[in-house]
Amino acid sequence: MNSISDRACIVGIGHTEYSKDSGRSELKLACEAISAAMRDAGLGPGDVDGIAKYTMDNNDPIEIARCLGLPSLRFFGEVAYGGGGGPVGTVMLAAMAVATGQAKAVIAFRAMNERSGRGTPRFGQAMVADTAAGPMSYLAPYGLFSPAQMVALAARRHMHLYGTESRHFGAIAVACRHHANLNPDAMMHGRPMTIDDHQSSRMISDPLRLLDCCLETDGGAAVIVTTPERARDLRQKPVFMAAGGLGGGGWNNRFMVRDIDAPDNEATVAGRRLFADAGISHDDIDVLFLYDHFTPMVLMQLEEYGFCARGEAKDFIGDGSRFLWPHGDLPLNTSGGNLSEGYLHGMQNIIEAVRQLRGTARTQVQDARYAFVTAGNAVPTSAMILRGEA
Amino acid sequence: MSTFPRPVPEYGSEPFWAGCNEGVLRFQRCAACQKLRWHPAPICTYCQAEDCAWETIPGTGRIHTWTVITHPVHPGAVGKVPYVVVEIALDAQSDLRMISRLVECEPDEVTMAAPVEVVFEAHPDGQQLPLFRLRR
Ligand SMILES: [Zn+2]
Repeated sequence: MNSISDRACIVGIGHTEYSKDSGRSELKLACEAISAAMRDAGLGPGDVDGIAKYTMDNNDPIEIARCLGLPSLRFFGEVAYGGGGGPVGTVMLAAMAVATGQAKAVIAFRAMNERSGRGTPRFGQAMVADTAAGPMSYLAPYGLFSPAQMVALAARRHMHLYGTESRHFGAIAVACRHHANLNPDAMMHGRPMTIDDHQSSRMISDPLRLLDCCLETDGGAAVIVTTPERARDLRQKPVFMAAGGLGGGGWNNRFMVRDIDAPDNEATVAGRRLFADAGISHDDIDVLFLYDHFTPMVLMQLEEYGFCARGEAKDFIGDGSRFLWPHGDLPLNTSGGNLSEGYLHGMQNIIEAVRQLRGTARTQVQDARYAFVTAGNAVPTSAMILRGEA
Repeated sequence: MSTFPRPVPEYGSEPFWAGCNEGVLRFQRCAACQKLRWHPAPICTYCQAEDCAWETIPGTGRIHTWTVITHPVHPGAVGKVPYVVVEIALDAQSDLRMISRLVECEPDEVTMAAPVEVVFEAHPDGQQLPLFRLRR
C-alpha cells in the first residue's frame, strides 16, 4: 500500500453555532465541537487518543485533552498555513496517525473567535505593525496587506489571460448563498443574494467585491478519524478517505500573491495523485466542496484540480446553475460554505461533506458517493476525495 | 498621520534597501548560473549556488497585474485610497517580478503590460522605497 486510500475514515462530526460573537472562550468552542463529534461517533474519552490541530489555532492540545478527560494522548501534531494546510491537512494527519497504528482515534478541529476578535485576529484586517520584516517587507510598505488584496492580483491576471468576468466569480457566491438559505444554521440564512446584488456590492480591492469575500465567524468544528476496522463497531456510517494530498511550491510562496502563469502551483501539487489514488475520474464526483475564501480562488481550483482546462472555468461555470441543489449536476458547498454558512477555515465544509456521504444532509444529493473537498489555495494547500459506503 | 509599514533591512536584504537609498534597484545575480532572483534569498533559486553578486538592474518593466485598493484595511491606507498596487515584470529578466505601488496616475489609466519605470520615494522614516510610474 503506497497511499492513504481507504485506510482511515471519518466517524464523528460536531460543531457549535456559527456567530459574530460566541460570548465564550475559544477553548470552550473547541471542547463543545469535539465533545459533540465524540458523541456523534459513540466514542468516549478512553477511545480517543490523538489531536491534530491547525498551527494557527490558539488552543493547546493538552489543555483540550485535560478538559475532555482524555486519559492518554498518544498522538499530537499540527498543520501549517491556516485554511490552506488546516482543514484537509489535519484530517490527513489524523488519517496517517491511525493508519500507521500510532493512535486509535484522532480529533481534527478548528475553533476560533475570529469575528469578535476575542482571541483570533480578524481575517479581513491587516496587521497594523509599523514595520515589516521578512517576505512581508516586500509587500506591506507598498500598501499590500490583506489576503483579499493579494488574491485580487491573481484574479485580475486571470481575467486578462482568459476573459473571465466578475459575474463568473459572482455565480460562485450566489450558489453558496443559495445553499445557506436552505440551512438554518448558516450565518447568511434568510438573506438571499442575486447576481445583481453581487455585481453592485462595493469594491474592496478591484476586481474583488465585498460579496467575493468569505465571512468572519466565531465557532468551533471538529471531526473524529479512525480506522475502517474500528469504524465497523461505531454508531455512524463511516466516510472513507479515498485519497488525500498536501501541496506547496516555493515558486509561488509569497504570502497570498499567486503566480497563475506557472504550470504548477499548490493546488496542482496537492491534486496530482488524488484521482489515481481514489481510482475514480472527475465524472464520479457527486458533490463539490471547494474552499471558498475568495470566489476567484474557487474558480481557479476548478481548473487546477482538473475539472476543466486552464482558462475554461468561465465556460464550466456558465451562469452557475449547475452548482445549485437540487437540480445542478455538481452541487457546490451545499451548506453555504465559507462564503455564507460560516468561516471555520473550511472545517464546516468537511462536516457537510460527511453528512452528504452519510445521506443526512439537508440539501441531500441523491446517491452521493464521492465528495471532492479542498482547503484554501493561494497558500500551501490540501485536498481530498471522500467516499461514502455504497 | 499613520503610514504604511517601514521595511526592516535584514541579513540578506540590506544591499537591496541600501541600493534604494542610493536611487537604484540592486538585485542578486547568481555567480554560477547568472540568473537574477527576487526576493533576496540566501541561495540560488535556480541552481542552489551560494555565491552571488549584488548588481544594479534597469528600473524598467511592464505591468503584470494590478489591483485598485479602495477599502483601507491598514491605518496607513486611510486617506490614501484608492491606490494601485502592481506586480511588475522587470525588463532585466523575463521571470523577474516584484510587487510595488503605482504612482502619478489615476486608477483608470492602468492597463495590462503598460511600460513603467521606477521612481524612489522616501518613507516618512527615511528609507527610500522603489515605486513605479507609467512611462509616457
Ligand atoms: Zn544559480
